[in-house]
Amino acid sequence: MRNRDLAFWLFLTPVLLGLGLVVIVPLIYGTIYSFTNWNGLTADKFVGLEHYINLFQDKGFLNSIWFTIKFSVVTVFLLNFFGLSLALLVTRKLKSANFLRTIFFMPNLIGGLILGFIWQFIFVSVFDDVGQLLGVESLQGWLATTATGFWGLVILTVWQMSGYIMIIYIAYLQNIPNELIESSKIDGANSFQRFRSITFPLVAPAFTVSMFLTLSTSFKMYDQNLSLTNGGPFESTQMVAMNIVRTAFGANEMAYGQAKAVVFFIIVAVISLTQVYYNKKREVDM
Amino acid sequence: MKNKKFLFLSLAFVLSILLAACGSEDSSSGDTETAEGDKVSIEIFQGKVEFKDQFEDLVAKYEEENPNVSITVETVGGGTDYAPVLKSAFSSGDAPDIFNVTGPQDVIDYKEYLTDLSDTAAAQAALEGTLTAVTDGDQILGLPFNQEGYGLVYNKRIFEEAGVNAEEILTFEDLEEAVKTIDGMKEELGIEGVFALPGKEAWVMGDHLANAFLAPEFNNDIMEAFNAETVTFERGDEMKRFLDLQAEYSVGPVLSLDYSQQVEENFSLERVAMIQQGNWVYPSVQQMDEELAQNIGMLPIPVEGLEGRLPVGVPNNWAVNNEGSEAEIQASKDFLDWMYTSEEGKRAVLEDFKFIPAYEGYDTEMISDPLSKDVYTYSEAGNTIGWIFGGYPSNPWGTDVMGSNMQRYLADDMTWEEVVEDSIAKWEEKR
Repeated sequence: MRNRDLAFWLFLTPVLLGLGLVVIVPLIYGTIYSFTNWNGLTADKFVGLEHYINLFQDKGFLNSIWFTIKFSVVTVFLLNFFGLSLALLVTRKLKSANFLRTIFFMPNLIGGLILGFIWQFIFVSVFDDVGQLLGVESLQGWLATTATGFWGLVILTVWQMSGYIMIIYIAYLQNIPNELIESSKIDGANSFQRFRSITFPLVAPAFTVSMFLTLSTSFKMYDQNLSLTNGGPFESTQMVAMNIVRTAFGANEMAYGQAKAVVFFIIVAVISLTQVYYNKKREVDM
Repeated sequence: MKNKKFLFLSLAFVLSILLAACGSEDSSSGDTETAEGDKVSIEIFQGKVEFKDQFEDLVAKYEEENPNVSITVETVGGGTDYAPVLKSAFSSGDAPDIFNVTGPQDVIDYKEYLTDLSDTAAAQAALEGTLTAVTDGDQILGLPFNQEGYGLVYNKRIFEEAGVNAEEILTFEDLEEAVKTIDGMKEELGIEGVFALPGKEAWVMGDHLANAFLAPEFNNDIMEAFNAETVTFERGDEMKRFLDLQAEYSVGPVLSLDYSQQVEENFSLERVAMIQQGNWVYPSVQQMDEELAQNIGMLPIPVEGLEGRLPVGVPNNWAVNNEGSEAEIQASKDFLDWMYTSEEGKRAVLEDFKFIPAYEGYDTEMISDPLSKDVYTYSEAGNTIGWIFGGYPSNPWGTDVMGSNMQRYLADDMTWEEVVEDSIAKWEEKR
């Protein structure tokens, strides 16, 4: 308790208050509401587990969970792959390294909604025109099928976030002590061996952080989904967040939407915590 | 123990600052009504972004004429955004005096807050049938915004050059023939397709297209649809062939085509001859091409036995919150009356808002855009098909069920039989 003096608490209170008011309290209220027939205005009946039972027979919801899981697996892998590759690239002694860092990071500064609309234009109009010009059938009608909608979302997300993940990896890469690299060189390790036995284990903590970040962002994806495919065609590219919003506000079933949100919260929490736990165990201390 | 004391101290410190901030804000905004005696202030919360500026101008004019009334207007647009914001306004106790109800479901949801408006002049002047969705017994709980209609918006020049007389198109066979003629002359006419079917927009298919063929089943009555336990798709085959016709002769790929591509890219740039849309596309077309905008018209969707009828309906209604003070309720009613029955108001409704009036006593010669004129002509002659999609089960059935089933059908993911079966099942499930 040595650091916890008055100043400590004084600085912390606003954050705690904010967190309590906008996260903890709504979470508690929401969970309570999910057991009632709340319609946004009134809740006059306690319905118990009804919503939770319905939810596991709700095809639309289950589809959206499955879609989100597939999406997350692919994006988490690609994001970390590209993030690390970009980081390795810009930490080399290149003249353009700083310039490249900026370029790679830039997509991250654009809001998800706008990005979605930009990529929509690219997928629908640009791809179409290029496809027509080159006579490549598969470039036409992007976002009109489930598969292209899926890959459209993946491409958009990877393009947007890999720059951010790159920054995290850069921070860890630069922390690797030069002596280790040098001594490995003296020992005659080639660059692949060096990467596998020195760099990779030492950036493991970065994996924990960036896996957590990518995992939770891909699970919670909403704005890109909304502006790029809007769940279409026929709701096959609808992610969980969108399904919840549609249920609560579109179909006007607030309590049911809330129940879905609670389940979603549990899923994301369990997956993220498990992931952090296992990754932590793998980290090496220097 | 000492630490706890500090925690409480700091908590109290921050809390008191927060409370002070909230308190001062409250006193400045909340209590002005009572402070200045008979001055009334009302708050309008509306959802039609398209006429926000024009509406605010009219409100300013009203405030000038009635210095004791002050009106604040808040606009949140889009069907999916308006409803939740309104709901949170009500649940947080900051409900507006005038708000919008779109259909029977809203009327039921907000029933306890709705004022009976049957004694207003506007309600007396409302055209027959425009109040159906907001009538409850002998109470009239809302006032229609306007009327809107949809059909096949067509390019007159292209029709002429193709030698097709739009006025002779009544039955499906007529339409099919015209479509084939135009399709055969695509090169000469310089177009890419006959239609632009926006397969991405579930509402164009699930709400509008389906409505034309489902309405006869419910006698064109939105309330009958709203109370119906089931839907039978009596005219399902007609619906299918009309959808097929549009899809077959549309520019592609249909499933990624959206509203703005349909209206702006394809229709306004004259790449297609016609699109299934309503009079609301006029401003977009006008912005793109003033000349073209004067040279378009609307054809009815051919429904057997109901040829030459246009689906016309009321998209939205004004409601007055009955929880306000008496003065506020009266002021709200007065304003709505003034907007729809005074000379100044009527002028604005027609000329500035570009509304197709849902009320008597308008000089409809003043309707300037050709699409609204067509809609009004059909509506005046009684040649209409009702809008019943406001009475679809709220899932929303029209877009989430019917619309996405039609998308599946277009993607060969579902047969038409499955579309019909699934849509009926989901309708019954929600009722």
